[in-house]
Amino acid sequence: MIDSLCDQAKREDIAVVGLYCDFPSQQDQTITNIMGAILKQLAGRGAMPNHLRQAFQEGKAEFGGRGPRLADMMRLLRIAIASLPKVFICIDALDECLPKCLPELLESLRSIVRESPNTRIFITGRPHIGEDVRRYFPKTLVIPISPNTDDIRNYVEVRLDRDAEPEAMTNDLRADIVGAIQENISDMCVGTSSSSTLLMMYTY
Amino acid sequence: MSSEDAQVMCWLSPLEPNNRHQGVRNERFDGVGDWLLETNEFREWRDSIGGADNAVLFCSGNPGVGKTYLW
Repeated sequence: MIDSLCDQAKREDIAVVGLYCDFPSQQDQTITNIMGAILKQLAGRGAMPNHLRQAFQEGKAEFGGRGPRLADMMRLLRIAIASLPKVFICIDALDECLPKCLPELLESLRSIVRESPNTRIFITGRPHIGEDVRRYFPKTLVIPISPNTDDIRNYVEVRLDRDAEPEAMTNDLRADIVGAIQENISDMCVGTSSSSTLLMMYTY
Repeated sequence: MSSEDAQVMCWLSPLEPNNRHQGVRNERFDGVGDWLLETNEFREWRDSIGGADNAVLFCSGNPGVGKTYLW
């Protein structure tokens, strides 16, 4: 999805930024750092804007040097977003965001959308997080995701084609494997690890 | 990037979201999630112009259904 938007972005002057909420260090997961991660991606698209260099110099010059404050960060982020015709912010696993950060994150996103109405936000997460999202964005568009039959069949076919012992495969066995996996799709995951484990059970 | 610009980037945030997208992209199979791009909700969201309405697209699913791979 990000790649598809990025392809579009190459043709038009739009920006796509991505965030995964399961940051390895929860200590670093503050609302200021998350907003900073968005700004970083926007700033990394071209030459570093002078006002960012200046903000850094000012922060460094203060006693002991300090990181940006949330209000400063939001101001810098607003400038960056306003300079672009359209910005897509994509957030994966919003439910893995620290609970203390979640309301602030949604509030900050709402304020960004209000100030720069051409901002679009893509969120993935477990269903329960939908309530939180709708509290801030009542007209959220929702797409329920379940394991996709076509995606899984394609995946299984490719794995079978790459099998290390192709001579052990027959058409019947192949059809059995694909059929059995498709039947059990509702109980399984589309992630690569579980699919390959299941495939190994059939292979040996 | 100059070393000063690199310092500005670090100062903005210690988080490095780009690294992880690269990892997901490498693991993902071609064509996975293409169906999402064809939905009315996705198109409406992508093409809508301005305002808080339709600003957010939420893909909702239980753990392990492959949400991350839609990226």
